[in-house]
Amino acid sequence: MPNVSKRVLTGVGLVLLAAAAISFPSLAPNPYILSAGIVVVNYAVLATSWNFVGGFTGYISLGHGALAGLGGYATALLVTKAGLPSFVALAVAALLVAALAVPIGLAALRVRGASFVIVSIALVLILLLVFQSWASFTGGSRGLVVPRPFPGLLRPEHHRVFFYLFSGLLALALLAWWLIDRSRFGLGLKAIREDEDKAESLGTPTFAYKLIVFVVSAAFTALAGGLYALWFGDLDPVFQFSILTGSYLVLMALLGGVRNLFGPLAGALIVGIALEYFKGQFGNTPLHLVATGVLLGLVVMFMPDGVLPALGSLVQRFRKAEQGSIREVSASELLAQRKREEVRQ
Amino acid sequence: MRSSLRRTRWATALGATTILALGACSGDDGGSESADDPIVVGISLPLTGDFSEPGKGVQQGYQAWAKITNDKGGLLGRQIELKILDDQSNADRVVADYEQLIGSDKVDLVVGPFSTRLVVPAGRVAEEYGMLFVEPAGAAKEVFQQGFKNLFYAAPAVANDHYNHLAEYLLAMPAAERPKTAAYAAMDDPFAQGTAYGLKEKLEAGGIKTVVNEVYPPNTTDFGSIAAKIAASKADMIVGGSQYQDGVNLIVALQQLNYQPKLAAFSTAPTNPEFAEAIGNKTEGVLSPTGYSQDAPYPSNKEFVEKYKAAYGVEPEEDQANAYTTGQVVAAAVTAAGCAEQGDCQKKLAEWVHANTVETVVGPLSWDETGKPKGAHMIQQWVGGDIKIVLPAAVKEADFVYPKPAW
Amino acid sequence: MPSGALLFQSIILGLLLGGLYALLAAGLTLYFGIMRVVMIAHSAFLILAAYLAWWSHARLGIDPLLSMIVTVPLFFGAGVLLQRMLLSRLRSATLTMMSVLLTFAIALIVEGLLGYAFTGTQRRIQLGYGSASFGLFGARIAVVKLIAFGLAVISLAVLYLLMKRTTFGWALRATIQHRDAARLVGIDTEKVAGYGFGIGLATAAIGGTALSLDTTIYPSLHWHWIGPLMAIIVVGGLGSVPGAAAAAILLGLMQSLLQIPMGTTWAQTIFYLALFATLAFRPQGFFGGRLAQRF
Repeated sequence: MPNVSKRVLTGVGLVLLAAAAISFPSLAPNPYILSAGIVVVNYAVLATSWNFVGGFTGYISLGHGALAGLGGYATALLVTKAGLPSFVALAVAALLVAALAVPIGLAALRVRGASFVIVSIALVLILLLVFQSWASFTGGSRGLVVPRPFPGLLRPEHHRVFFYLFSGLLALALLAWWLIDRSRFGLGLKAIREDEDKAESLGTPTFAYKLIVFVVSAAFTALAGGLYALWFGDLDPVFQFSILTGSYLVLMALLGGVRNLFGPLAGALIVGIALEYFKGQFGNTPLHLVATGVLLGLVVMFMPDGVLPALGSLVQRFRKAEQGSIREVSASELLAQRKREEVRQ
Repeated sequence: MRSSLRRTRWATALGATTILALGACSGDDGGSESADDPIVVGISLPLTGDFSEPGKGVQQGYQAWAKITNDKGGLLGRQIELKILDDQSNADRVVADYEQLIGSDKVDLVVGPFSTRLVVPAGRVAEEYGMLFVEPAGAAKEVFQQGFKNLFYAAPAVANDHYNHLAEYLLAMPAAERPKTAAYAAMDDPFAQGTAYGLKEKLEAGGIKTVVNEVYPPNTTDFGSIAAKIAASKADMIVGGSQYQDGVNLIVALQQLNYQPKLAAFSTAPTNPEFAEAIGNKTEGVLSPTGYSQDAPYPSNKEFVEKYKAAYGVEPEEDQANAYTTGQVVAAAVTAAGCAEQGDCQKKLAEWVHANTVETVVGPLSWDETGKPKGAHMIQQWVGGDIKIVLPAAVKEADFVYPKPAW
Repeated sequence: MPSGALLFQSIILGLLLGGLYALLAAGLTLYFGIMRVVMIAHSAFLILAAYLAWWSHARLGIDPLLSMIVTVPLFFGAGVLLQRMLLSRLRSATLTMMSVLLTFAIALIVEGLLGYAFTGTQRRIQLGYGSASFGLFGARIAVVKLIAFGLAVISLAVLYLLMKRTTFGWALRATIQHRDAARLVGIDTEKVAGYGFGIGLATAAIGGTALSLDTTIYPSLHWHWIGPLMAIIVVGGLGSVPGAAAAAILLGLMQSLLQIPMGTTWAQTIFYLALFATLAFRPQGFFGGRLAQRF
């Protein structure tokens, strides 16, 4: 049965991925590689969380950096000011940010396209100003120190534990994305992406759907930001609320393919490695910025659907034999081919 | 279409696995342990990005130290090799850099980066790996409140104590001459604010009223409104907690409004060689705290200035001197403890530095248990078109000019 | 209660600042009107022009205002090229989003090249008349700020005349209002869009030079400007140059006045608050009239 073998293959693929994630800390030759791995997985979670909004509804937000920063600061403030234990603070922070995402979404999702992008950028900038100026509460430019959740751990162990935590969060985000993708809710969102006005006229409650997915996206982004705060330990508004980080997320999701479950993950791996490479090559000059810009430009111009679909269609071309032109196929063959495709879907 | 989607998903999963595995297999090991190996010192500096200018100054200081020490036979008979990474003025990068230097490149020693924002996260990495961390540029009080045991600041005083001599001098003036009101404008940066607020505390306690207290975000370029407020308050003196360009911009804005205070003190900006031209050469009377002076009579200073000038053609400034001092402290500890490698050696080095005084180009330095140095900065003033030390009286090169002539 | 002198001085500063903002924002709103493109790289080009002005002054000894003779045509050409070569190639379905990312990429490239060519050192033009000022009813007006304001007024006036009185201006406005209808009437919208883009970038050249007179410049400065400029064009109505000018003056004035009680940092939030308020209550902008676009 083609369906079962497909499922088996997908299952094997997932098991391999999980095995890679579990074994990576042991394979990593030194704590530096491990910490670099954490950064990449963090990017992957952020990119996947972004992809809830970007991939399903087609709204490109350059402001997800703001939500991550909020998650980070909320966690840090709950731990330092309210004395909550670290992971309780993390959960509460995610809920707080999700709650905050409702009014933000109400304001931002009223507009589309360019205005939405502008609003998302404005969000980052205003939060940056607020967190810098409200120094008595947030520490401002002096920064905020987040106490370690596991004080007794040595640094390499600390990295190890957090690698697993981040991988777990990534798995959760991927699961959520996959569930939405298969659901009716997801179908409604994709309709919004294709043509919002028509979807609305067909009865999809577009605004409610957009808001819900925005809140879900915000929650996951805040979780990632908060977990990062717990791992990294030092928060500074300039680096937490950064448009540049937000744009890296978009680059990653776009590069990997926004319509793909694993697209943002693949994009995070590629871009994460590319950033390290650029830094190594061009380290002492700002040319690494140029390289990043060129990469983003190339992706936008030539691969707007992402690398994975491009690869997929490449693979597709090698299997041309199955899908010949109309002239080469007889009626019965066409019927059999259609039957096969139906079964697959 | 769904079938191809599934195919690509599976391909991705496989691809991701492969990349992860490849990533795990890369990365190099450390060096060997033979005695003729160079001592590798790992440093992460902001060579690009917003802190790149002082970052380059610190780099030059470190390089000068390495060169001068190597010319004299090196440290423990081994040559010093610097491994400098660029952290792009970014806190995430500086942490990754030190992780790489300590964990992956396995350097023997590390020294600090530039800017308080970067020193705290970097210091945390060094602390958690048990490495000695002498740093040239983290002077705000937050740095010393983190509970670090291996961190030492290589300059005479922390930010809040920079203006101590000036505060003493002003409060010792007879009441009729003393300024009565003061305006403060500080950049929202732990170092710059630290200097201004340190002075503010002491002056307020001494009865000088604060009439304006402005904080502006880093990278502010328009000072018109702040200058308007200060000018409207007609404060007797202005204290700027600045770095370079913001100080210049504020002074120009004040000049545009024709505000003439009796005393003007700015951190960092007036010590920059381009300062005079930037404010139209109206520098007479502007004050600035400094930890370093090229003419200071300390024994290692003469050699430093001579050799630096011979190698680079210009005299060293404060950033270079701070880096050189850092090198000197590390060298003294290494020579005394007789080792330079990761591990228990680092503990010995830290303990030695806590317990001893080191002779450097900024004078004899010693530290308290948090790594704070126990000295005081000198106060310089622009007198006769040149910047000279005016306080403390013991080392002054010129007389204190007060009130300040118009700019 | 701030003194009358302080208030008056702040009002003067606010007006001068608003004029400069108007010049800087004019190009930004023009791009949007012509092609529905959010040109994030506009402020990067502002800084580029400022650097060119500084460079010509510091290395060649030319007054920065004269550098405009070279930079304005140069930027015009660059704008035309940008539109023809890059932006017109994007798929129209996702034009707005992709244009954001593409222009973002261009901004990064410009910043990186500036940092590479001029290093991250902060630069300021040392003008002989840099700190000169003259008095007006007790307030002081800095000469360089007045020159910047003058440049803004002249450029916007020229732009206005161009748009209203010339054939090209009519064609441009037609393209902005309704592209397909303009094509039906026989206007070569591709060419017009290209030239319109060029004009937008040319205003960036003038704006950047004006900026360089009284500001310190460094490669990442463009991030500081993109937020307020975008807020201005939304408040003014996307696509409307007079709207952007009105919003610029208003917001510049408010920023200057709010700095008295609130301090510099909190005063900057006025831009974003105005932005959110506009999108909440009147998404097509307050000052734009018929020309303003909703999205």
